[in-house]
Amino acid sequence: MAENTFDAIVIGSGMSGGWAAKEFTGKGLKTLVLERGRDVKHLKDYPTTNMMPWEFEHRGQIPVAIKDANPVISRCYAFKEDAMHFFVKDTEHPYLQEKPFDWIRGYQVGGKSLMWARHTQRWSQYDFEAPKRDGYVVDWPIRYNDLSDWYSYVEKFAGISGNKDGLSQLPDGEFLPPHELNCVEEYFKNTITKKYKDRPVITARMAHLTEPQPIHIEQGRAQCQNRVICQRGCPFGGYFSSNASTLPWAAKTGNLTMITNAVVQQILYDEATGKATGVRVVDAITKESTDYLAPVIFVNAGAINTNLILLNSISNRFPNGLGNDNGLLGKYVAFHNYRGRVFGKFNQLTDSNSVGRSPSGAYIPRFRNVFTKEADFLGGYASLFVAQRSLKMNTIGFGNKLKEQLAAKDLKDWAVSAMFMGETIPKASNQITLDKLNKDEWGMPLINFNVGYDDNDEKMLADFFAQMTEMFTTAGFTDIETKDSKQAPGLDIHEMGGVRMGSDPETSLLNKWNQLHQCKNVFVTDGACMTSTATQNPSLTYMALTARAVDYAVEELKNKNI
Amino acid sequence: MKRRTLIKQLAFVSGSLVLIPACMEDRSKASMLLKNISIGGDEEMMMADLGETIIPKTETPGAKDIGAHLFALMMVDDCYKAADQQKFVAGLKAFEVKTKNQFSKSFSKCSIEERETLLNELEAKKKDISDLQYFYINTKRLVIQAYTTSKFYLSEVQVYKLVPGKFYGCVPLNKAS
Repeated sequence: MAENTFDAIVIGSGMSGGWAAKEFTGKGLKTLVLERGRDVKHLKDYPTTNMMPWEFEHRGQIPVAIKDANPVISRCYAFKEDAMHFFVKDTEHPYLQEKPFDWIRGYQVGGKSLMWARHTQRWSQYDFEAPKRDGYVVDWPIRYNDLSDWYSYVEKFAGISGNKDGLSQLPDGEFLPPHELNCVEEYFKNTITKKYKDRPVITARMAHLTEPQPIHIEQGRAQCQNRVICQRGCPFGGYFSSNASTLPWAAKTGNLTMITNAVVQQILYDEATGKATGVRVVDAITKESTDYLAPVIFVNAGAINTNLILLNSISNRFPNGLGNDNGLLGKYVAFHNYRGRVFGKFNQLTDSNSVGRSPSGAYIPRFRNVFTKEADFLGGYASLFVAQRSLKMNTIGFGNKLKEQLAAKDLKDWAVSAMFMGETIPKASNQITLDKLNKDEWGMPLINFNVGYDDNDEKMLADFFAQMTEMFTTAGFTDIETKDSKQAPGLDIHEMGGVRMGSDPETSLLNKWNQLHQCKNVFVTDGACMTSTATQNPSLTYMALTARAVDYAVEELKNKNI
Repeated sequence: MKRRTLIKQLAFVSGSLVLIPACMEDRSKASMLLKNISIGGDEEMMMADLGETIIPKTETPGAKDIGAHLFALMMVDDCYKAADQQKFVAGLKAFEVKTKNQFSKSFSKCSIEERETLLNELEAKKKDISDLQYFYINTKRLVIQAYTTSKFYLSEVQVYKLVPGKFYGCVPLNKAS
């Protein structure tokens, strides 16, 4: 058994699992990382990264046979010919949908950190206080001050670009230089900031190395070259991923053991000690079962799969899932509402354009219900604003004339769009359960989603349409159109909750250190831990929570408290 | 364009180019493996000539040089729904019938002027929803897609940089190129 015993076990190697691995190994703990998918090595396993557009057989498009067989993943914006090998296909890992939920997954080393959208904002004091102030879900057991130093800690290592904007509703971080906005994004920023005192528009903050520091060079990463094909994996390590950053760093310590194709079935619990002893793993290929032991276990399987593992960890003491005495495990699942877009055109500033490509854009921090509750809905929304010009491409006619038209450099006027990123309010009825009758080929019960929108989501979306239409009109944009995609929850790829944090074991699963109230050597620091969702892209917060929780766990181990 | 550059480009325009001679020998079969639609060698040649009429070779490569017709057939075969594939193939047949009726010969045997007469007619019928029009519009769209995403086009006409480096947010247009 000795070879199966470690100082720490981390389930999952994605955004937060990578951080847990880096922190544990950095503190000298022999750490086992279990990844249910295949290995993806930085540089080596990015097969499409240097391909030119004409080298893709279907020029990026997904063949109809694949789409028809995999309707859910085919709805994901990034599921294209260049990165489809990083996404789980519906047929490979089925699940049940009592209500439609587009569950987007990446089962490989690095998880979804390979293909994420790379926007990174800190939560503010208002975000942590909102549930208590406005009376929804439960109070967060932590405040911004508990996390601010940890945000700094992870930002410095990951490399985050941005401006110091001095906004209390979106605190500044440890920033590398910001990306440049283009002419119309800059114009929109200036116009809106002047007209609305409470609606700053800023440069989006992103996990890109705009100016690598020694710590990034030491990771083997180089400056972002603005290729903007990040989803293929970056040969420069220009954006943060577990593969480019935390995992190789952890491996360098000599303390990391990574096992791939390792499907965790359950966490093993010992009633005598009241602690978890390890995990039971089934090999994805051989189906062979192995137990691994460690005094501390971090569950970073990705929000939904973290719920699955805990719900499936049944013992005499915990017949309803590990730590689930109050029956709340799998409830209060939430996400971000990404249904809305507002489009427009702008026929001014047409004597200029940008040169090159930018991964960034302008960001409008939440301005509803921030400092006080003033709207007729709970929560708020942020928005991403981008402007661009494309070639006119006159395709009328044929022959030499058409060929000449296709060579013209004439540009259209500006096209602008703003994207809705709405907070959703977690509720008990938004729940995931296990279907014990239906198991997958690794013996895991299938997950059943019962997660949907509510009236609050509709009100908030209507407000976004109204406010953004007004802001676009103010800016002089024309042809303004609002579009509700009506997409199912999930396509935002910000699923959260089910194992929420809170101070009271009666109403929450995790304490302020992301530790299961009732099984203190098990920690959850991925999206499953989120008590509320705010409007920020969540990954940066998972990273900070993870680093903080590992630091605490190691202290507790030393002091023999867990 | 310099002659040497052109030759170099023609050598690499498309790997599928080498397949073309095959269909010259056996006109009953297409030169490529199609899974869902059935296209004969003559029809493939017609597609090649239609593509070439849409984007002809000048001092720079045309549709045939970049294998645009093979790309179009492959896209219809792989990326179109079954109903649309049927509409496309029916339209292709209708196009051949129309050509025969009008000029008593196949499209490939038609003169440049005759080909242009046909296409001018189709260009004028924007709102027609017939199979024939569907075939023409989609072939044209796919030929244009093949051309505007070809190595030639993205290296020589509208240049695509895999590694663009520094991004300049706002530049006067006269300096942007």
